[in-house]
Amino acid sequence: MNPKLYTLLWAIGTVIFILLSSLAVAAVAKAIVRRRGENRLYQSRTFAGYFFASPWIVGYFIFVIGPTLASLYWSFTRFKLPDPPQWIGLQNYIQLLTADDQFRVSILNSLYVTFFGLPLQLAMALGLALLLYRRLPGEQVFRMVYYLPVMLAANAAMLITWRLVLNPNNGILNTVIRMIEDAVPPLVFARQVVVMITEVTNAAFIGLQRGDFTLLQQTLARGLPVPEAMPLWHQSQLWSKPAIIFIGVWSSGAMMMIYLAALCSVPTHLYEAALVDGASSWQRFWRITFPMISPATFYNLVVGIIATLQIFEQSYVLTDNGGPAQSTYFVAYYLWRSTFRFNKIGYGAAMSWILLVLILVLTLIQFRLANRWVYYEYES
Amino acid sequence: MAQKLYKQPLIPRKVRQAFSNGIVYLLLLAGSGFMFFPLFWMISTSLKTMEEANSPRITWWPAQPQMDAYVQVLTDDRWLLYFSNSVFVTGLAVTGTLVSVAAVAYAFSRIQWPGRNLFFFLMLSTLMLPPQTTLVPQYVVFNKIKWVGTYNPIIIPGFFAGGALYIFLLRQFMMGLPRELDEAALIDGANHFQVWWHIIMPLCKPALATIGVFLFVAHWNSLQAPLIYLQRAEMYTLPVVIANLINPQVRVQPWPLIMAASALTMIPLIVVFFFTQRYILESVALTGTKG
Repeated sequence: MNPKLYTLLWAIGTVIFILLSSLAVAAVAKAIVRRRGENRLYQSRTFAGYFFASPWIVGYFIFVIGPTLASLYWSFTRFKLPDPPQWIGLQNYIQLLTADDQFRVSILNSLYVTFFGLPLQLAMALGLALLLYRRLPGEQVFRMVYYLPVMLAANAAMLITWRLVLNPNNGILNTVIRMIEDAVPPLVFARQVVVMITEVTNAAFIGLQRGDFTLLQQTLARGLPVPEAMPLWHQSQLWSKPAIIFIGVWSSGAMMMIYLAALCSVPTHLYEAALVDGASSWQRFWRITFPMISPATFYNLVVGIIATLQIFEQSYVLTDNGGPAQSTYFVAYYLWRSTFRFNKIGYGAAMSWILLVLILVLTLIQFRLANRWVYYEYES
Repeated sequence: MAQKLYKQPLIPRKVRQAFSNGIVYLLLLAGSGFMFFPLFWMISTSLKTMEEANSPRITWWPAQPQMDAYVQVLTDDRWLLYFSNSVFVTGLAVTGTLVSVAAVAYAFSRIQWPGRNLFFFLMLSTLMLPPQTTLVPQYVVFNKIKWVGTYNPIIIPGFFAGGALYIFLLRQFMMGLPRELDEAALIDGANHFQVWWHIIMPLCKPALATIGVFLFVAHWNSLQAPLIYLQRAEMYTLPVVIANLINPQVRVQPWPLIMAASALTMIPLIVVFFFTQRYILESVALTGTKG
């Protein structure tokens, strides 16, 4: 049977199922409030409310609550399809947290991108927002241009284009860097320094991750790289995470829009008062703008952390399955790999619970720290 | 009056203003160049010959632009099939999700019913849940009911108002519509279904367009779920095919072809964004201020 026709029939069946189950849920809800002796109007509102909300309520039990509970149970089992799950207690968690080197590498890689990538993304977003905030003619067009990458970034087609762009030998990016340096020769030295800092940082990070510092020793022994040394991007384990961060910075348009909205809501009388007092533009930014838009920074941080922990496509497409040398293994990628490539269902379920706890903890820390630096105007 | 407080600057204000605006424009243009250069390189490479695209000497724009790669993609039955697969999956999933999300948002904004606040809270709490938590067990269930290898697992779950963020956005929009609209209609004897479909839905067009675009982007770009659930090559969607185009065994990749296919994959996204950008940019800003 044609697979599209098959799914179309299932879709029609699903719509009928949703309508019937919604009617059933609404009827039950109505019967309950009638039993309680509520009036006719209340009854009909109850019926309508549950009828319209039921697609989500039914879906919540089928696709969220059910799977979540099942996953919690399976995380305590050894489960390889098609065999039934076998209870093994905490073994999956113990294995993950103490013995699985690849999982530790994935977690640390994810945290690396969060701690180094997110601030750069925020800086780029804020910088662009400050430029747009001038409201110069043509601002609408620039806004569009800066947001466009957000829609494209996750597509495999875009990521494969990045492979070509970032190619260390004949990629356009390194060519552009060389062109700029030909025009302004002192920049060669600046690039050498940046290359060295990046490589040493990454080598040190990989050393800490694996408990093996030979790579760092090699990198340090090389000293300042030769002037020809260009960034190697996705082809080197010292550059693969910076490459992914670079693409993240390229698509920071959504954060920029949040910042732009926040900038527009800062009352102008604050700036006027500061101007009268003779504050410099530097002071005005750090003493007024930055504190006033701190809620936007907070929002971008919380959403950004959750997003960086979901990175998958980049590992799969840009760096060819988490390479080089597992330097782009991230939590979501490793979870997919061990669950669906190696059919370790119980193990994957345990990993997803650790990921959930990690997200909750990071978000909770965010909210705890927020009191110290996020300023809400309508607070007393 | 306030101007008297400043010292008179050496360079007139107007000149300084023009100068700083010029710098801002330069920066804005540099930023635009940064945003566009991968797209530029994609188009440029897709118009090159194989030798030109793989040569170590870079040409910014091919001396003789070739359309061969595009012709090759667009006359290949397999590529047309992949396109139709992506269109089918995206179209059906977006339609089903959009209608059900609109119904649920209506319940959460225009009707007072017992339990509404509880369910609304539950819905918002799912925003925190990483999709990986449900990915694994859903796979087990879909495997059990023999859905693995069909389009069902990618499309059907959306019909149950998948996506709390979309419900939330649409609810915020519906809350802003005047109450009198539905009250008048209800007193005139209309039922809730009529109010929803004939009164509220037409007024929500901008919000529906935005959410439709978000859903479109999510499904058009989706890679992980199709990788998990689609098993036969003739069912693959575009991202799955493109992600596996590079053959690590060979030294010379067919870059013009890969880039032509990529460009054709990007075009629907760019066109849709171009026509809806006004709505989208507004609601992106809204998520931040409300959230």
